[in-house]
Amino acid sequence: MTIEIVKAPPFATVQDMGWPVGRAIGLPEGGAMDRAALAAANRAVGNAETAAGIEIALGAGTFRFAEAAVVAVAGLAEVRLGGELVPHTLMVPAAVPITLYPRPERRFVYLAVRGGIAVPELLGSRSTYLPAGFGGYEGRRLRNGDSLPIGAAPPGSAPEPERGPEEEATGPLKLRAARGPQWDRFGKSAQAAFFAAEFRVAPASDRMGYRLLGPSLAPEELAALPSEAACPGAIQVPDGGQPIVLMPDGPTVGGYPKIAVLLRPEVGRLAQCPPGAAVRFVEVGTLL
Amino acid sequence: MSSPPPAILPLGGGAWTIRLGDVVSRENHARVTALAGRLADAAIPGVLEVLPAYATVTVFFDPARVNPADIRSRIEATLALPRSEGAEHPAGRLVEIPVRYDGPDLHEVADRTGLAEAEVVARHSTPEYLVYLLGFVPGFAYLGDLDPALVLPRRAAPRTRVPAGSVAIAGAQTGVYPFASPGGWHLLGSTTLRLFDPARTPPALLSPGDRVRFTPV
Repeated sequence: MTIEIVKAPPFATVQDMGWPVGRAIGLPEGGAMDRAALAAANRAVGNAETAAGIEIALGAGTFRFAEAAVVAVAGLAEVRLGGELVPHTLMVPAAVPITLYPRPERRFVYLAVRGGIAVPELLGSRSTYLPAGFGGYEGRRLRNGDSLPIGAAPPGSAPEPERGPEEEATGPLKLRAARGPQWDRFGKSAQAAFFAAEFRVAPASDRMGYRLLGPSLAPEELAALPSEAACPGAIQVPDGGQPIVLMPDGPTVGGYPKIAVLLRPEVGRLAQCPPGAAVRFVEVGTLL
Repeated sequence: MSSPPPAILPLGGGAWTIRLGDVVSRENHARVTALAGRLADAAIPGVLEVLPAYATVTVFFDPARVNPADIRSRIEATLALPRSEGAEHPAGRLVEIPVRYDGPDLHEVADRTGLAEAEVVARHSTPEYLVYLLGFVPGFAYLGDLDPALVLPRRAAPRTRVPAGSVAIAGAQTGVYPFASPGGWHLLGSTTLRLFDPARTPPALLSPGDRVRFTPV
């Protein structure tokens, strides 16, 4: 059983929940940018939440199956089967093309197939790590004509589709964060601005990190920090004062002070913000 | 004389970072290595892995499976164990990395340091470097310490693409780019050795504590 990429979206990769271990050798957590969305798509087709799916960004894509397949799409998108508008969870007959048209208000849409995308596991994950060109399908973005294996369907039948509440954007997205390990290196005004100001997602944002535009948060002490562990959601502030939120493919260590760290589920919510989207940080007492 | 206990700080919801110092030094590296070894020996249930860095050790765990406070208590208990003086960790392996010293920045490094190109090569290929830590990208090893005469700040304008295998210097550090990536270090040469291969066991060529010598070819 295979899925054929008839017309590849501009940016599509195979992703699961990433590498559980590997930080000590520089391997990032990796995996889906919006883990909750991939998990929801997997649940809808009866897969384990951690099964590999296709992460789609920047535009439409068309897929076709050699045999009938149970498919779910998570995220803001229009789904058409042979031209007809269809629900997000459906049975796709053999050889009938299904096309996803992602809406521009969000960045990522996930396609899950019952059985999961069965590319080989590498170091414990099927995720694609583009900076080094490994994992996923041949370590790269999907192209027209690619044909990906689908795994054996799990026992039992696919569950009834769940109807997730669509989050309507009203004002800046509020993201919960705790003070970071270097919070004390920042001055009072930077500390106050961080949890009070509105930031905008900069165009230079990708699977490694999201840059934010807003008031300068330059730390008071510019003394270099010997590189130490970082993680997705860590908010680093380089000397220029504009914060960078590390994302799943981001560096495992860094020498910039971390003013705050997002709660892990917030990483996926930020991931969905397109360039220009407004965000605010809400302080939570402690992450641990 | 007893020093205050090291700070234990949360890193996100799934890790504790233990700070043993604030600077890059062989002394801090030895303390980090010793603690990382003791934490590994402690085999704390629920711990995913331990990441030794320059002056910190970070313990990753799955907060869905274990209570973070329990992990913290186990870390504190490990820190409180009496240290067995003289139980030195064995010296790491010596890894030789063959380098073609024909990098695009060799000339500029010679100019800025006032050394002949051959002298730059000699000073870079003489020391036995220590692998302080692995990170940034898979298999990237932070190596030190560079000959003080070669210490330069990063390039003012980072390159958008540094080829895989590039041997480079910046500050008191040297290293090899495992993959093509953007980078601001000065490129002295290149090696054909693969620093990281996900299909190999282990995938990373180098480990913290290993010693590295660059051999001109």
